[in-house]
Amino acid sequence: MGVRVTTGRSLLAAALGLGVTISAQAGQYPDIGPLPQLKTNAAKAELGKRLFFDRRISGDAGISCSDCHKPENGYAHPDALSPGYPGNGHFRNSISLINVAHKKVWNHDGRIGTNLNDMTREMLTEDYTMNMDMRIMQERAKQDPVYVKMFKDAGYGEPSNGSIRKAIPEYMKTLTSSGAPFDSGKMSASAKRGMATFKGKGGCIQCHNGPLLTDQKPHNTGVAENFDVFMDPMNHQTFIAFTMFQGIPDYMNLKRDPGYFNITLLEKDMGKFITPSLRELKYTAPYMHNGTIKSLAGVVDFYNRGGGKDSNKSKMLKPLKLSTQEKKDLVAFLESLSGNQLTSSKHVWQQPYPAEYEAISNWTKVRN
Amino acid sequence: MSMKKFAPTLVAAAVATVLFGCQAQATKQDGAKASKAAPAKAMAMAKKGPAPLAPLGNVPVPPDNKITAAKVELGKILFFDPRIGGDASTGCSTCHEPDQGWAWAEDFSRGYPGTVHWRNSQTVINSGYYPRQFWAGSASSNEKQAKSAAKGGVAGNGESDIMEARLALIPEYRKRFKDVYGSEWPLISDVWKAISAFERTLNTTGKFTTPIDEYLKGDKTALSEEQLRGKAVFEGKGGCINCHNGEQASDLDFHNIGIPPNKRWEEDGLAQITFRFEQYAKGQTQEGYRGAKSDWGFYYRGKNKWDKGKFRTAPLRYTAYTAPYMHNGVFYTLEEVVDFYDRGGFDEEGRTTLFPENKSKLIKPLGLSDQEKEDLIAFLGAFSGPEVTVAKPEMPEYAPLFTKAELKAAQEAK
Repeated sequence: MGVRVTTGRSLLAAALGLGVTISAQAGQYPDIGPLPQLKTNAAKAELGKRLFFDRRISGDAGISCSDCHKPENGYAHPDALSPGYPGNGHFRNSISLINVAHKKVWNHDGRIGTNLNDMTREMLTEDYTMNMDMRIMQERAKQDPVYVKMFKDAGYGEPSNGSIRKAIPEYMKTLTSSGAPFDSGKMSASAKRGMATFKGKGGCIQCHNGPLLTDQKPHNTGVAENFDVFMDPMNHQTFIAFTMFQGIPDYMNLKRDPGYFNITLLEKDMGKFITPSLRELKYTAPYMHNGTIKSLAGVVDFYNRGGGKDSNKSKMLKPLKLSTQEKKDLVAFLESLSGNQLTSSKHVWQQPYPAEYEAISNWTKVRN
Repeated sequence: MSMKKFAPTLVAAAVATVLFGCQAQATKQDGAKASKAAPAKAMAMAKKGPAPLAPLGNVPVPPDNKITAAKVELGKILFFDPRIGGDASTGCSTCHEPDQGWAWAEDFSRGYPGTVHWRNSQTVINSGYYPRQFWAGSASSNEKQAKSAAKGGVAGNGESDIMEARLALIPEYRKRFKDVYGSEWPLISDVWKAISAFERTLNTTGKFTTPIDEYLKGDKTALSEEQLRGKAVFEGKGGCINCHNGEQASDLDFHNIGIPPNKRWEEDGLAQITFRFEQYAKGQTQEGYRGAKSDWGFYYRGKNKWDKGKFRTAPLRYTAYTAPYMHNGVFYTLEEVVDFYDRGGFDEEGRTTLFPENKSKLIKPLGLSDQEKEDLIAFLGAFSGPEVTVAKPEMPEYAPLFTKAELKAAQEAK
């Protein structure tokens, strides 16, 4: 094991040859537990909510954020691969937005590491997601009296693309776990046993640690490619556009998702993806960066086998030899990490949007 | 393919030769620099009057984009392919519809879904002859025009990467691009070249010739009595020839002729959105953005206040098919256009440009009789021949690039 500067913890883990059952290992990782509360500004979040469900903030006014991040699916999408913008598909699974405001790194490949404002901009402007020229987006908002009032009430002044990119992240802060048995201490006996496996024999804690149950770092677990990425030209065109734009070498011949390689262009990062949070996953099937595993039982089986096939696979993954009961308990624990669905009007904009833009009356006399 | 330059430049260049000696040679070498000769042209006009109308010659072809049959065929398919755009719904032909004069039969071009444009869609016919494209001359070639239109937020709203990716997944395009350009994969820059090559074949020449061209080439029977009387008005009392002159029936320069703002901006919310977006996108000052209530036209190019409300003189050929007229489509008939000029650049309600200080001194009441107006309109009809039609091509299909076996092998090799 060469000394690579990653994080002290993974190094230590690697050095100790983890994966071996040591219940002591749990202590070496940030503890799993409740998330801190986030303060939100109600007026700004309410504005963000209306924007999030509004199709008019995409280029052809065909899709909203919520079309790929559906409340009833834990703000993810039930398809293996996200639908993407009209006219193309996508090549990765839509990520849950619940607790997204707690993260430090975004996207399956971690290419955004700054803040949700940047993440929002990326989703709005990328041609295969919402393809929105934000200058048009701003003028659309200014054309809707409801927005004009909401922006003003939220302290943003007149609608602008800058404040849209602030209001949506403010709403994101309201999408947080609530009522998960894991947080309320109402876990079943089976879930509690599963937690022990999670921290011990299963070794899950090595990457799924901290209050979000993710180290937010890239790992290669050998997940098989989703062939639909390449067999369906609608998805493949997005994959090509993305890898072209990101400057991935030989992108036309690429037959795998490069993952974190995109960030470093180092072979050692090929096929690594950022560890996903395990919260609210009851609602966010299918799983993995490309939606290739349909159920939690399937995910547990995958890790029990020691992950998939990849020469670059993490050394942490080894066959676990879990019993049927241990696997069941582990799934019960995973499910205890999911709380109430955020599908009421508290989180979902349920009022209709105007069918067309009303003209500003007295247009020749008022300032733009 | 001849590299014959259009007459105005030739005339201007000839004059400029006298005035500037060899500097004019550069102008001759490069049609796109024709505007450089404009001052000289103005001086020439002051001395000798405008260039006479001239028949349409061969379309100029840039040396780096020769016309070949295979390239034109490829360009034709691309012109009609809605996948050259954002959401695969809006291609060139969406707003340059062959059945609507290769333009769009409403005042504003229809624009990308969820938007409406803010200017009138110009015809593609004869566009290869113009040194500058768009109403305010913002693109210096068909190639640059195609790219701007395909990518503009209220037009095609496409991005280069996804458009190029789509082409790579269409076997017929891969083959055609390889045949035409020798490239392994279709390149987006070659898309604009192919579309332009196709556009340069869409001219009112050959079987699409016009009565005025036949007349100017010597067939004195090509114009009717009425049209000949209209020609006299055009070149005399009407003063149209002042700007509509030379080979294109356009000096290809920019003028404020007094077009009033389109009232649609007062009534249509979607149009108001685009109006403000355009101010923003074209680099308006804060004050300009807040105060603008009409299209400032050529101003956006150089930000000179004396250019507010100036637009390119529209060439007159094919106008029988391209209503409505003017940069913002405010006039739906040639009768309205003639009446507008006859009033000295005022519409029937007495509205004119919001920048009267820039209104061309050439625009003044003409005092035309009804007969003269009718003759003039008849003469304008001589600028259009048969409708230019092409058989719409079949759209080639997507196909997966890899086989399942190749993907499985790659998976095994991981």
